[in-house]
Amino acid sequence: MDIISILSEGVINGMKAVFTIAKIVIPLMIAMEILKDYKVIDKISKLLKPISNLLGISKNLTFPLVIGLILGLSYGAGVIIKEAKEGELSKKDLYLLIIFLVACHSVIEDTLLFVAIGANGWFLITIRIIIAIILTVLVSKFIGKYLDEENIKKFTT
Amino acid sequence: MKIRKSNGTNNNRNKKTFKETLSNGFKSGLNTTWILSKIIIPVYFFITILKYTGILKWFSLKLAPAMGIFGLPGEAALVLVLGNGINIYAAIGAVASLTLNGKQITIIAVMLSFSHSLFTETAVAKKTGISVAIVLFIRLSLAISSGIILNLVI
Repeated sequence: MDIISILSEGVINGMKAVFTIAKIVIPLMIAMEILKDYKVIDKISKLLKPISNLLGISKNLTFPLVIGLILGLSYGAGVIIKEAKEGELSKKDLYLLIIFLVACHSVIEDTLLFVAIGANGWFLITIRIIIAIILTVLVSKFIGKYLDEENIKKFTT
Repeated sequence: MKIRKSNGTNNNRNKKTFKETLSNGFKSGLNTTWILSKIIIPVYFFITILKYTGILKWFSLKLAPAMGIFGLPGEAALVLVLGNGINIYAAIGAVASLTLNGKQITIIAVMLSFSHSLFTETAVAKKTGISVAIVLFIRLSLAISSGIILNLVI
């Protein structure tokens, strides 16, 4: 194969890959915008309140959890920083939330991206959420008592 | 409907019409597509060149033993490095340019879903006050152990 066809193969196939992803990303971003603007996440996090007991975090923190889980780590971290500034967050809450979220965030987007290249989406999302829950529960059980329960009032960002 | 106290991020639900929501979503989708095309096309291009010059084969043979513990071929190291160093889009560009089977793609997807975009995301996590070492330790150990375990069970 000559150099021109190799180079054009690279570009054309690259564009095909972009198109495959665009078909997922554009509808996904529209759906995310609806979730944000219509406070669907508020509703989901109210439904998921019982899960906070399992994870060992305060009840009002299912909101940043669901935000991070669906919209992504930076949105989740933004809400967490806000809660911390308002003094509603203990060190234990902060660690458990972040540990959960670094293992498991923007699950819809990430999963669909991998589905686009042929991975099994249900398998992926299930394994990711279950492992993140197990990890957080373990940290909560074994290390939770060493993390102090006092609120973090002062915060540096 | 009763207005509940919101502990949420945005309070502009009433300001936006449904049309505006849709068009904002569409714009952000187009923007993401643009950003990812700037990543995927160069990655794809670069890997195609590596493939035809034989560099990929050499690299793949060198890394085959290390990648073997995850049941992956040597060139999959490139996917993991791009995914962790840049982001998932770069990794997807790389996967699309290689030939991998279903099991291998699933293993890569699980490993990368635990650990990706390490530079940018660790910076975000650090802003909340958690230590970088903890974040990296958790993500890399989840990725590595899930790769090893999945290779054995599926």
